[in-house]
Amino acid sequence: MVDQKKLIVSPAPFWHDGSSIPVRQVHTIAAAIPAVLFGVFLYGLPALGVVCLSVSTAMLWELAANRMTGRAYSIGDGNAALIGLLLAMLMPATVPWWAVIIGTCVALFVGKHIYGGIGGNPFNPALIGYAIIMVSWKGLFDFNAALVNYDFGFNMIYPLAAVKQHGAAAAANYPLCSLLLGMQTGGIGATFGLGLILGGLYLIVRGFIRWEISISFLAGVFITALLFNIANPVKFADPFFHLLTGYTLIGAFFLATDDSSSPVNLIPMLLYGAGAGVMTMLIRNIGAYVDGVVFAVLLFNIANPLLDKIRPKALGKVIDHA
Amino acid sequence: MTSKKHLQIAYSMTAILLIIGLFSYAAFSAKKPDQPVRIMYKGVAGSVLFDHKTHSADMGYGLSCNDCHHHPPGQDSDFLACSACHKAEGDTAKPESCTDCHDPADYEDYEMMTKTNAFHAQCIECHQQIGAGPVECAACHAAN
Repeated sequence: MVDQKKLIVSPAPFWHDGSSIPVRQVHTIAAAIPAVLFGVFLYGLPALGVVCLSVSTAMLWELAANRMTGRAYSIGDGNAALIGLLLAMLMPATVPWWAVIIGTCVALFVGKHIYGGIGGNPFNPALIGYAIIMVSWKGLFDFNAALVNYDFGFNMIYPLAAVKQHGAAAAANYPLCSLLLGMQTGGIGATFGLGLILGGLYLIVRGFIRWEISISFLAGVFITALLFNIANPVKFADPFFHLLTGYTLIGAFFLATDDSSSPVNLIPMLLYGAGAGVMTMLIRNIGAYVDGVVFAVLLFNIANPLLDKIRPKALGKVIDHA
Repeated sequence: MTSKKHLQIAYSMTAILLIIGLFSYAAFSAKKPDQPVRIMYKGVAGSVLFDHKTHSADMGYGLSCNDCHHHPPGQDSDFLACSACHKAEGDTAKPESCTDCHDPADYEDYEMMTKTNAFHAQCIECHQQIGAGPVECAACHAAN
C-alpha cells in the first residue's frame, strides 16, 4: 500500500496556520451571539423560535443542496448556520414561520449554491434571502406593524421610520446611549449596538473580517448623514443617530464583510465600504425605503469584481525579445 | 470538506434547533395582550400607527374606553373593533354587528359613517378639542 501522505503536493503556502472554514464561521457566530441573546432576552421565545428555525432550516437547505448537486456535505463547515443566523438577526421576532423557511431557502439556493457554494457567491446570501422576502411580501419587515403588541417601556417606534416620517426632530426621542444599549425596536439581532460593536471588534482583532470595510462603511454612513444634516437639519437626522439605528452596525461588521462578496485589496475595500455607506444614507434620506443597508450592500456586492480590478502593480517588468 | 466530527455536530445542532424552533412557534408564536398596545391601520394614504396604550392608560392620556368606542352601555361583551361597524369606502353591506340590537328594517336607510371618515372625525376632532395631538395628514400617515 502506498503511503498517500508522501505523494501529496500542493502549491504554496506550505505552512498551515490552523485556520479553517469551520473556525471562521464558529468565531463569526460567536461574535454575533451577544446581539442575538439580547434580542431573545427582549422578545422572548418568539425570537428564539425565529433564530432556531432559521439556523436549522438553513442547514437543512445546505444538506439538500449538497445532495442535489452530488457534492461533499458542507453542512459541517458552519457557513449555512451563519447565513441562517444573520438572516434571523435581521428579522422581527414576529415573522411567520413560512417566511423564515422561504428566506433560508432563497438564501442558500439563490444566494449561495447556484454559484457553486461557499466562496463562489457574488452576493451576501443572507441579504439575498432577506431582500427577496422583503420585496415579495411588502410590509412583513415593517417593524412598527410587526411589533405592535410589544411594550418594553422605551420608545417602541422604529427609529428610522420615525425620522423618515417626522424629520430630524423625532431623533430627539432616542437618546444615543439608549440606542447603544439596544433600547430600540428592530431586527432580533440588529438593535444591540454595544454587542454588535464588541462582536465586530473581536472579529477585526482576530483577523476574521477586515477593518477597512467596516470602518469605511461606518465613515461613509457618518459623512453622508452629516452632509445631509448640515444641508437640512430639520429634515435629516444627525449622523450619530444613523450610526446606531437600523442595520448600520450589523451591516458594517457582519454583512458587508462577507468573504467572497467583498474586495480583497486595500483601495477596493475602502471604496466598497464607503460606497455602501454612502448608498445606505442616500436610500434612507431620499430613497423609498426606510433603511438602505440591505440594498446598498447588495449593490456594492455587484461592484466588487470591478472594484477589485484596482490592484497593486506586479513586481518586475516585461522585457520584449528577452 | 469537513470532518466527520463536524458533520455529527452539525446534524445534532440542526435537529435540536429545529425542535426548539418548531416548539417555540407552535407554543409561543403570538403574544397578544388583552388590550392592544399599538394598532397599525393600513390605508392607501399611508399607514397610521396608533398608540392605544398611551391613550387609554392612566399614566398616559387616561381616556375611558367609551370615549372612543361607542359600545352600547350595559353590554358585558368585549369592545368591538372600529371596523366591525365602520366599513371601508364603497363597502355598502350593512355591518353584521347592527343586528345584535336592531331589526334590519330599522336601519335599512341609515348610512353608517365610513371607516376613514370615522377615524378622521374621532382623532382630529378630539385633538382639536384638547388642543394637543396631530391634525395634519403627514403627522399620522406614513408614506407606504
